[in-house]
Amino acid sequence: MRFWDLVSLIFENLSRRKGRVVLTAVGVVIGTAAVVLLVSLASGLQKSATSNLYGIDDLTKIEVYPNYGGGMYIEGPGGGSTDTMKQLTTSALQEIAAIDGVKEVIPKEYLMGGAAIRYGRLENYSSLMAVDTDDLANMGYKIDQGSTELRKGTAVVGSWVVQNFYDPSVRPGQEQPTPPTAEDLLNQKLRVVLTKWSSDGEEIQKTINLQVIGILQEGRNDGDGSIFIDFGELTTLNEWFNNGKRINRNKDGYNNVVVKAEDVDQVVAITERINELGFMAYSPQSMVEGINSYFIILQLVFGGIGAIALLVAAIGIANTMTMAILERTKEIGLMKAIGATNRDVLSIFLGEAAGIGFLGGLGGALLGWLGSKVINVVAMSFLASQAQSGGIPSGLNAVTPAWLLIFSIIFATLVGLLSGLYPALRAATLAPMMALKYE
Amino acid sequence: MGRQKVHALDGVNLDIAPGSFTVIMGPSGSGKSTLLYLLGGLDRATSGQIWVNGKELEGLDENDLGIYRRKSVGFIFQSFNLIASMSALQNVIFPMRFAGIPRGERHKRAVRLLNQVGLGKRALHKPTELSGGQQQRVAVARALVNNPALILADEPTGNLDTTSSFAIMKILKELNEDGRTIVVVSHDARMRQFASHMVYILDGKIVSEAEYEEASSFEIPEDDTEE
Repeated sequence: MRFWDLVSLIFENLSRRKGRVVLTAVGVVIGTAAVVLLVSLASGLQKSATSNLYGIDDLTKIEVYPNYGGGMYIEGPGGGSTDTMKQLTTSALQEIAAIDGVKEVIPKEYLMGGAAIRYGRLENYSSLMAVDTDDLANMGYKIDQGSTELRKGTAVVGSWVVQNFYDPSVRPGQEQPTPPTAEDLLNQKLRVVLTKWSSDGEEIQKTINLQVIGILQEGRNDGDGSIFIDFGELTTLNEWFNNGKRINRNKDGYNNVVVKAEDVDQVVAITERINELGFMAYSPQSMVEGINSYFIILQLVFGGIGAIALLVAAIGIANTMTMAILERTKEIGLMKAIGATNRDVLSIFLGEAAGIGFLGGLGGALLGWLGSKVINVVAMSFLASQAQSGGIPSGLNAVTPAWLLIFSIIFATLVGLLSGLYPALRAATLAPMMALKYE
Repeated sequence: MGRQKVHALDGVNLDIAPGSFTVIMGPSGSGKSTLLYLLGGLDRATSGQIWVNGKELEGLDENDLGIYRRKSVGFIFQSFNLIASMSALQNVIFPMRFAGIPRGERHKRAVRLLNQVGLGKRALHKPTELSGGQQQRVAVARALVNNPALILADEPTGNLDTTSSFAIMKILKELNEDGRTIVVVSHDARMRQFASHMVYILDGKIVSEAEYEEASSFEIPEDDTEE
């Protein structure tokens, strides 16, 4: 039997019993639509989650910290002494820089004590930090106003810092003055008051002046709540907290190091390599990959729920085909009498089952796709009303990729084919004489 | 419902010459239909051999048997076995779809055969719109599409009135005159008028067999079934 003769015969046979075919296919439509819709939702959630993450930071960055207390329990009692710490020393930095794919290794330091930042009467307790680079833009921090090139006595301020200024003299219940804007703060002087205590409990204060030369854009990273100062100046301040003792980078190391990879693809491998060296390394990229694998599981679970509906539909197809064979026993006998081989009969009935699956898959893919459009429209208008009332819009939407539609149609066809296997085998192996005599 | 074996045929030894018109007669349950189905490869004998044109049917697998039925045999049934949803033309075309004959060719052949059985004008009618005699003529045309050498008819006139029966018998006789071998199972005593070979079966055994030089002539009334 030629292929197109087979196909046309299958569709003729299906159109002979339109009502039953449609009813059976409705089950497949529902199952396929459920698969398409749920997987679309899962991939939509994934897309919005990762796009939020991409907004956070430069994905080629890896944050590396010393390994506090690594091997603490192996070394025996006494807790994590500096001996057991894996410090980010100058030589360790060279070791990291030697890893394949590492573009830059940039030390980062934090102020080792408390500091109040004063602007006129306003006060703020943002953290001070410094990066060992000439230009903050190298680190991916983007400037909103002014410049990112720090010198001694200057500061670049994170976006949230500006809004965090408050008046300490205002009593509870009284109105706080409106915080300054970025424009207000640019080129103004900030006073930084550092406080430490001597061994006999005496409070010692030190005040320095900083000129604001730049305000950063919101980057959703550690820069938002920080004030950046010159690296050398921060080191001097930390030595003041450390009772004037010089910090030896060969021994004490750095607080934190930022490693930049040449390519995003290498980030996870580099992160693992640094961890193997004994440091603690974190990258937003490994988080992205973790989130991706979470969403793949979510898609599988959602798809599995839809697949249950498809399973029910498959039983429906098997039932319809079994009934069809009972009804058409005589016709099967006739087909054999006029020259159909067992293989022909098998192909026809398998084809009819697959045809029901295909039609249902087509309808289901269409319905699922339309459903995800409807969800998007409804979610959009809901989010719009949320945004008006001041809520934070979340990224709820459904994304239906083309591969999902094609896959779901193929899958539904295969489900039909499999459900038709048993009835079709029965039809093909019917003894022709018995079939012809069947009433 | 027992599981006891019943031998529909037992000890049958039958030769059918090419080009003969064999009529098998016997009461119902005698095993005459079983014999026909065995010849046509629609049933398998539990023991013994059936040779058709130098081929032993028991040696063929299911698919080869299907091809044997397609190429060498044309079946005609008592209840016509037309597919109700198809027109007369589509019913005649149906076997050629399994044979892989190209579309244009099978249409041409079906129209020619319908004309031959006198139903050219009814080609697009559904079986329910045709009389019994006309339906059986469609079935005859269907049996001929693959140009088989052997025509097997199981009570072809069993559901027909007298005039329609004669029309079918006449067509079968014409096919026989074209050189085809005809085997007919029938209750109808008039059928013997066309036979060159008569076989009587009773309880699965051949009880009597006769061959004639020439089928005895019989006055066939004019065909008046065509409306």
